[in-house]
Amino acid sequence: MRRLRPYAIPYLLWMGIFILIPTIILIILGFSNLELYNLGVFDLTLVNFRIFIQDQVINALLNSLIYSVITTVICFIIGYPVAYYLSTLPEKKRKILLAMMIVPLWSNMLLRIIAWEKIFQPTSIINDLFGISIDLLGTPTGVLIGMIAMYLPFMIFPIFSVLEKMDYKLIEAAKDLGASDYQTFIKVTFPLSSGGVVSGVIMTMLPAMTSFVLPARIGLGKINLIGNIIESKFMKEVLGSSGASINQGALISLLLMIFSVISFVLITRVDKEGETLI
Amino acid sequence: MGKKLIIMKNISKSFGDQLVLDNFNLYINENEFITLLGPSGCGKTTCLRILGGFETADEGTVEFNGKIINDLEPNQREINTCFQKYALFPHLNVYDNIAFGLKIKKMSKDAIHERVMNILKMVKLTGFENRMISTLSGGQQQRVAIARALVNRPKVLLLDEPLAALDLKLRQEMQYELKEMQRELGITFVYVTHDQEEALTMSDTIVVMDHGKILQIGTPEDIYNEPSSRFVANFIGESNIIKGVMLEDYSVEFFGETFECVDKGFKKSEAVDVIIRPEDLDFISPSKAKIVGIVDSLIFRGVHYEINVLVEGKELTIHTTKHRKIGDKVGLSVEPNNIHIIPRDNNA
Amino acid sequence: MMKKSVKKKSLKFIGLFFTVLSYLLIFTPIVVIFILSVNASTKGYSWEGFTLKWYVELFENDVMNEPIMNTLLVAVSSTVIATVLGTAFAIGINALEKKRRVQMMVINNVPVVNPDIVTGISLMIVFSLLSFTLGYYTVLIAHVFFSIPYVILSVMPRLKKLDPNLYEAGLDLGCSRISGVFKVIIPNISTGILSGALMAFTMSIDDFIITYFTSGAEYMNVSTWLYATLSRGRSFTPAAYAYNIIIFTITIAIILFVNLKRDRKEKTV
Repeated sequence: MRRLRPYAIPYLLWMGIFILIPTIILIILGFSNLELYNLGVFDLTLVNFRIFIQDQVINALLNSLIYSVITTVICFIIGYPVAYYLSTLPEKKRKILLAMMIVPLWSNMLLRIIAWEKIFQPTSIINDLFGISIDLLGTPTGVLIGMIAMYLPFMIFPIFSVLEKMDYKLIEAAKDLGASDYQTFIKVTFPLSSGGVVSGVIMTMLPAMTSFVLPARIGLGKINLIGNIIESKFMKEVLGSSGASINQGALISLLLMIFSVISFVLITRVDKEGETLI
Repeated sequence: MGKKLIIMKNISKSFGDQLVLDNFNLYINENEFITLLGPSGCGKTTCLRILGGFETADEGTVEFNGKIINDLEPNQREINTCFQKYALFPHLNVYDNIAFGLKIKKMSKDAIHERVMNILKMVKLTGFENRMISTLSGGQQQRVAIARALVNRPKVLLLDEPLAALDLKLRQEMQYELKEMQRELGITFVYVTHDQEEALTMSDTIVVMDHGKILQIGTPEDIYNEPSSRFVANFIGESNIIKGVMLEDYSVEFFGETFECVDKGFKKSEAVDVIIRPEDLDFISPSKAKIVGIVDSLIFRGVHYEINVLVEGKELTIHTTKHRKIGDKVGLSVEPNNIHIIPRDNNA
Repeated sequence: MMKKSVKKKSLKFIGLFFTVLSYLLIFTPIVVIFILSVNASTKGYSWEGFTLKWYVELFENDVMNEPIMNTLLVAVSSTVIATVLGTAFAIGINALEKKRRVQMMVINNVPVVNPDIVTGISLMIVFSLLSFTLGYYTVLIAHVFFSIPYVILSVMPRLKKLDPNLYEAGLDLGCSRISGVFKVIIPNISTGILSGALMAFTMSIDDFIITYFTSGAEYMNVSTWLYATLSRGRSFTPAAYAYNIIIFTITIAIILFVNLKRDRKEKTV
C-alpha cells in the first residue's frame, strides 16, 4: 500500500489552490483597496469595515443569526425523534423510509423554493385544488417553513447514521446496570449520538445562515440575510448593482468563514474522517 | 451447596422458525460457579440473555429467589452481565464506566468512590481510573467489564464468553482470577463458553448443551469421567469410542475379547458404545495383551506423545510418555474403572 | 407494567408524528412541482386541467434548450472526472500512515462543511487570478472541485475494509504497480466508486450557488437560468417543472436499478 501514497499528493496541491489561495486573497481584499479585476499596487486599509455600520448589513447579520438558529433548533426538535424512530425500525422499512428522505433532494433546489413560493401565494394552486389558503409570502414564518423543509434532512441523516451504527449491546449494558429507559437515553444513547448531533447542527445551520435565494424569493426581498449582501457585493457584472464592492464583500465573507472555521473545528473533534457527513 | 437461587422451568424460545431452547429446565444454586458449555448455536447465550432479561421466553418460567421474574426488566433484576465484547461505554472513562450502576442507584459520591476504588484494586487496575476505554488493552477492558458488573454486588453475575477475545496466556491467568473472585465474593457465576478446558478448570457445575437441550449436568469430574453420550464424550476432551456388546453386568465385549468393567444395568447382549480416554490406554507387551495393534502415526505434544494405533481397522488414540516407533506391534491394556459404557447411539 | 407500556407507546407516537410531519414538509414541494408540470395554466395560480403539453414543449422550447444541454454536459463530464480523480486520491490517502490520513480527510471535509457561497466565491477568486474567462470550463472545474470530496468520502469506507496485504499480494503475483490497482483494488471498491459517482452526478445536476458564482453572465445551467429569469421579474415556462420531474424520475430509476443489481449480486455471493 505504501507505494500508492504518491496518489494523494496532487490532491493536497489541488486543495491548496482552491482553498488556501482564495482565503489569503479574501483576507488581502478585506483589509485593503486591492482591485480583484485589476490587480496592482494596493494600500492596507480598514475602510471596508464601514459596512458594518450600515443598517442594511447589521440587519442582515442579525437576520442570518436569528433565522439560522431558529431553523436549527426546530430541525433538531423534529429531526432527533425522527432519526431515533427510523433507527428503531426493522431493516427493510428503515431502508425504504431513508431512501424516501433522500429522493426529494434530487429535485432541483431552486424549483423546490419556487414551489414553496407558489404555495405561499395568497391565491395559489393549493388554494384552488384543496381550498387551503396559506398566505405566508413575505413573512418570517414563510421563510422559516421553507428553510426547515429545505434543511431538515441534513439534520436527520447524520444523527440517524450514528444511531444506526450504535452498538445495541451498550444499551443492554446500561439497562443491565439498572438504568431505566429514560436514564439509558440520557446517559448512554444521547451522549453517544452527540457526534451526529454536532454534524447535523452544523450541516443545517451553515446553509441556513448563508442561503440567499430562499429569503429573496419567499421573503419577497423584504428579509435579507448575509448571503444576500454577499451576492450584491460580488455579482456586479451579473446583477449590475451599483452597491457592488468586492472588498466589502470579501470582508463579510471572512466573517462567514469564521463561523465556518468554528464549525469545522467542532466537526473535526467529533468526526475526523467525515463519516457522518454523507 | 446452598439453596436454589434460580429455577428455569420448561423454557422454550424460538427465533422465527428456529427453536433455540427446547423445554429447558435448570436450577442454579447460591454461590455456585455454573458453566453452560456447548458448540455455537446450542442456545447457551440465549439462556443467559433470558436470565439477564434481554430476551423473554416464549414458554416457561424463570424463578429468582422464589419469585417469578419473567416480566421483570433487566434494570430491575439483581443480576449483572459481563458482555461478550465487554460493551464498555466509549464516551466514559474507566471510573465512570464502573460507577455507572452506582450513580443510577443515586449512591453518595463518597460511597461510590470507595466502592469503585476497592473494585479497581481487586481487578488490579488501580491508577487507571481516568483512562478512556479506547486506550486500554483487551485484558484491561475485560477487567473493567468485570469490575463494572461486580461493583453493583449482584446476586448473580452472567458472563458471556468473557475471555474469548484474549490470547491463551492471558486467558489462563484470567480463568484463575475469575475463580478466585467468585470464591471471595460468594456470588453466583453463570458462565457461558464453548471452550471445554475453560469449563473444566473453573466450574463447580457444568451444563453441556446442544441444539437447545441439556445433554448432561454434573461436576467437571463427572462430565469428564462419565460422559452420558457420544456427543459429550467427544466434546469434552478426546475419546476413543469403540462399538461393543454388554454381555452382562460388569462385563463387556469389544475387539472380540471380554473385558471387566464397572457399569451395570444394561440389557443382556445390548449393543453399546465403549468410551476410553486416550490417557487411560497403556502399552504392555503384545503377548500379554487383549488388544494388539500397529503404531500408525506419532506426534510429540510436549508433555506426552500422541500415538495412533490401528487395531482391527479401528484407530485408537493414546496419550503416553512412552515412545514407540511407527510400524511397531504394540499391546494395549486398560483398567476396568477406565472403561466407560454408554448406550449405542445409532445416529452417530 | 400498564403505566410503563403507555409511556413507551406515547414516546413512539411522538416519533411517528414527527416522522409523518417531516415527510410532509419534504414532499410538499415535490408534489407541487408535479402538479404544476401537468397543469394547463401557464402562471400556475390555479388548476386549469390536466395536460402533458409542457413535457412536449420541453423538447421544442429553444430558450430552455441551451441551459438543459449545459447542465447535462457539465454533470456528465464533471462526474467522470471527479470519480476518476477522487478514486485515485482516495487510494493514495488510504495508503498514508494513520495520522497523515486523518489530516488529509480533515482537509477533504473543508468543501463539504463550507457553505456553498464561500466555496463559490473562493473559486471565483481563483479563476479571476488566473484570468480564466468564466463559462463552461470554469463551471466544470468548480463542479469537479465540489464533487471530489464526496467521491472520496464514499470510496474511503470500502478502502478501509480492504485487507492491507491485498495489493501486496497482487504485486507478489506479478501485477505491475498500476495493474495492481486496477486488478486488485478497484474491483473491491467498485460499489463505493459507483455511489460516489451517483452522488457527484446528482449534486452537479442540481447545483445553483456554486455555478452562479463561477459561470459569468453568459453561461447558464437550468438553475441559474431560472434564477436570472425570475430576477428580471419574468416568469418561466412550466416546461421547467416538466424538466425537473423527468430528471428526478431518471435519477430515481438509475439509483433503484443500481441498488437492485447490487442487492442481487450480494445475495448470490
